[in-house]
Amino acid sequence: MQLSNRLALMSAVLIIAVAAPGAGIARAGKASISMTSVLLPNTSPLVSFRFLFNVGSASDPKGKEGIAALTASMISDGGSRSMSYDQIVQAMYPMATGFASQVDKEMTVFAGTTHRDNLQKYYEIASGMLLDPGFRADDFNRLRTDAITFLKESLRGNNDEELGKEAMYISIYDGHPYGHQNVGTVESLEKLTIEDVKRFYRDNYTQTNLVLGLAGGFPKNFEEKIEADVSSKLPAGTASKLTLPQPQKISGLEMQVIEKDTPGTAISFGFPIAVTRSDPDWPALLLVQSYFGQHRSSNSYLYQRLRQIRGLNYGDYAYIEYFPRGMFLLAPDSNLGRRQQIFQVWIRPVEPKNGLFTLRAGLYELNKLVKNGMSQEDFDTTRRFLTKNVNALTKTQDSQLGYALDSKYYGITTFTDYVRDRLGKLTLDDVNRAIKKHLQAENVKIAVVTKDAAAFKQAAVEGKPSPISYTSMPPKEILDEDKIIEAYKLNFNTKNVEVIPVAQVFQK
Amino acid sequence: MRLFKPSLLLLIILMPLTTPAQNKIFPFKYFTDDLPNGLRVITIPTDYPNIVALYLAVNTGSRNEIEPGKSGFAHLFEHLMFRGTEKFSAEAYNEALKNAGADSNAYTSDDRTVYHTVFSKEDLDQIMMLEADRFQNLKVPVDLFKTETRAVLGEYNKNASSPVRKIYEALRETAFKSHTYQHTAMGFLRDIENMPNLYDYSLEFFNRYYRPEYTTIIVAGDVKHENVMQLVNKYWAGWKRGSYVPQIPKEPDQTKSLSTEVAWPTPTLPWVAVSFKGPAYSDEQKDKPALDLISSLGFSQTSDLYQKLVIKEQKVDTLFADFEDHSDPYLLTVVARVKDPKDVDYTKAEIIKAFESYRTTPVPAQKLTAVKSNLKYAFALSLDNSEAIAANLAPYISLKRTPETLNKLYDLYASITPEDIQQMAKKYFVESKRTTVVLAHKEKQNAVK
Repeated sequence: MQLSNRLALMSAVLIIAVAAPGAGIARAGKASISMTSVLLPNTSPLVSFRFLFNVGSASDPKGKEGIAALTASMISDGGSRSMSYDQIVQAMYPMATGFASQVDKEMTVFAGTTHRDNLQKYYEIASGMLLDPGFRADDFNRLRTDAITFLKESLRGNNDEELGKEAMYISIYDGHPYGHQNVGTVESLEKLTIEDVKRFYRDNYTQTNLVLGLAGGFPKNFEEKIEADVSSKLPAGTASKLTLPQPQKISGLEMQVIEKDTPGTAISFGFPIAVTRSDPDWPALLLVQSYFGQHRSSNSYLYQRLRQIRGLNYGDYAYIEYFPRGMFLLAPDSNLGRRQQIFQVWIRPVEPKNGLFTLRAGLYELNKLVKNGMSQEDFDTTRRFLTKNVNALTKTQDSQLGYALDSKYYGITTFTDYVRDRLGKLTLDDVNRAIKKHLQAENVKIAVVTKDAAAFKQAAVEGKPSPISYTSMPPKEILDEDKIIEAYKLNFNTKNVEVIPVAQVFQK
Repeated sequence: MRLFKPSLLLLIILMPLTTPAQNKIFPFKYFTDDLPNGLRVITIPTDYPNIVALYLAVNTGSRNEIEPGKSGFAHLFEHLMFRGTEKFSAEAYNEALKNAGADSNAYTSDDRTVYHTVFSKEDLDQIMMLEADRFQNLKVPVDLFKTETRAVLGEYNKNASSPVRKIYEALRETAFKSHTYQHTAMGFLRDIENMPNLYDYSLEFFNRYYRPEYTTIIVAGDVKHENVMQLVNKYWAGWKRGSYVPQIPKEPDQTKSLSTEVAWPTPTLPWVAVSFKGPAYSDEQKDKPALDLISSLGFSQTSDLYQKLVIKEQKVDTLFADFEDHSDPYLLTVVARVKDPKDVDYTKAEIIKAFESYRTTPVPAQKLTAVKSNLKYAFALSLDNSEAIAANLAPYISLKRTPETLNKLYDLYASITPEDIQQMAKKYFVESKRTTVVLAHKEKQNAVK
């Protein structure tokens, strides 16, 4: 099952998923083999696999958007040459496991965890799926329809927040290899064929593109067996070449208002930043992200100002890395490595009457952060928090493996050690310099999902004050600040402000 | 379990029951301690270093919302509990959590509200003190109360774009006539909208349920039992027992099949839900465990129905069963998303047929073995860190207040025979216990009929 679809489904079932697979205390191991690998052997009864290919949806050829994702789902959700998908599901069931895929712009990963009792059987099935896929027509028809349904139903139809975030990403990367949803577009998917899948697999699922991740209590020489299987099935190949231009320059505030009959108004905004985990400024921005908008935490600044004090919505967060499916996750997924990232603010749905006020409040607070920087006290507290909290990101064996693969991609040491070490050396000046250098509130792409989109656009562009409506009056200093926020100047680049019917999003 | 009668003023090191765990589905040694005020503490020292997971399960959920117009209050309290006390304002509380690098959150379901915090072991004293303070001394002024009710409305609104949420609302409102399972944990929208006017009632609600006899503390992680109990006695022994016992309305027997249709304002593929009234959670009777097995056998990815509708015919793209454990009889529900509106009736009929097949045809022994193996390994794979151990335990602790219920439950699963399955299917999968919901885009709905 695809990881993203599984999450969407989990939310649909209203189940709280508790545990990612994995266990034990890992130590970094070195591969004694030629294939690139990350090995974390330990004494756990569980064994976790991550087969990571350095290729993703940014390598979708023009007109074939979605082929990377569809190819991955044909492997994780389709049959192998020797087993139909039905047989695979039946065989995996008593082991209570699966072999899932996740596709992002530059990475495709296949992951699964099994109990050691079932290792041989599990590996036989999973390796068959990956190295000897069946590529059957009935699987193709089902999975292509699923992909279209994901765009139409799961994003357009059922999740205004993810819809807005994904639309914003597409808009920021217009004309760029990142400029389409990972699953593709409705029109491109309709034209894809099974031959396209076979070609993409042949060209990109190569030994050169593969990094093997293995963690847990796997037997000695297990990686050699995997290497032998991989080299007998996958071509050596050359590394996928992907040239990434800079995203287009944003001039002023640019906005898409997506028209949808929905009770709330969902807002996201962001802009590209020249910082990834490889960059020396990344730890400083990580600290800023945590202070300003730590994911799903009631402790962050934005959450306090918008939700806690004003009761505007359910939560407000900030990000310096792509973080899909945030409404279903308390911590980010791994293996979403990218060479280009954006700074992003996610404002959860507000009552439509407070939509424009809230957008202004978000930009006002970002502007204040850029102008004033952080205080020593906030710096100290946030650093203390992150230094301890970073442990929680890698509490399972599988998450340790995912992070280890990402650290290899970004060329840093073990993630938790790296973060703690760099945080220890950071100063307030470093952080405030990084804020000034990388963040700003003037040239920003905004995505809004709301009913009465035309009215929202008109009010935003006209720039008249947009007062907040309260159920319970906050203290005077907040009301005074509201006066400033309601009239906060929005410098829209009016030629780049548009209303889009929801049915057009992800269409082509 | 060991009851004791020490002075509240003493720090007490207990001699609790230590449960050995060989060959049990819950494989960890744990300690169970009861304080005289009714508070129960389950301590599970694990081998995972540094991290501690503290879970506080309060046995109040939307099930306890018995007065008309007052739905959603258990969930509202999940929010209010982060709004501060006399000693620690919300800001001070947050600051302390931040200093501990803690991940802190909470959730509300029909039967419980669970507060969870995960942090480094050196902060156990501090976190235990903060939790005890807010559970005993919560003080939310009326203006902050009103502000928080709007955050709850925001939560309702963020959920409102999901048709599945709406299906469950409609299903419960149709299937239950008296019992409080009639509403979801969020509550009725009309009640959420009226929450700002019910400050005094909120005080009453807290007074009733935030009491030691309703609460169980779970501590899992890099801890020593003695240290945990020293802190529990230091911070929680003075908490006063309450006296309130809610009269949860009993649901009368359903006497005929029920159905409803939901018109969805924006384009969506149609959804079908078929539900049967099932039994409450039990670790002694076979009813619920047998139906658990059917929900996996009949409607998981390996089921004949899934293979038919999703894989072969490709008429349905999502199919799942949901039968969460509940204190009182609840619904076993199967939900499907149908690719073409013309197949709605067919899908509904196929789901009903699949339920009925368990009445007439015994399950092959091999399939039963596979589902039991699936349950066993799924549980084993899930217990892979301290937080997961506490999180998995919390629902069972809320139902029976002991991890032992898990071992009893899995023993029951192991004992179920094809005859048991058939017998339970005959008992529960009858037309008069059935409720169905169809949700479709409003223009399409006419075509569905």
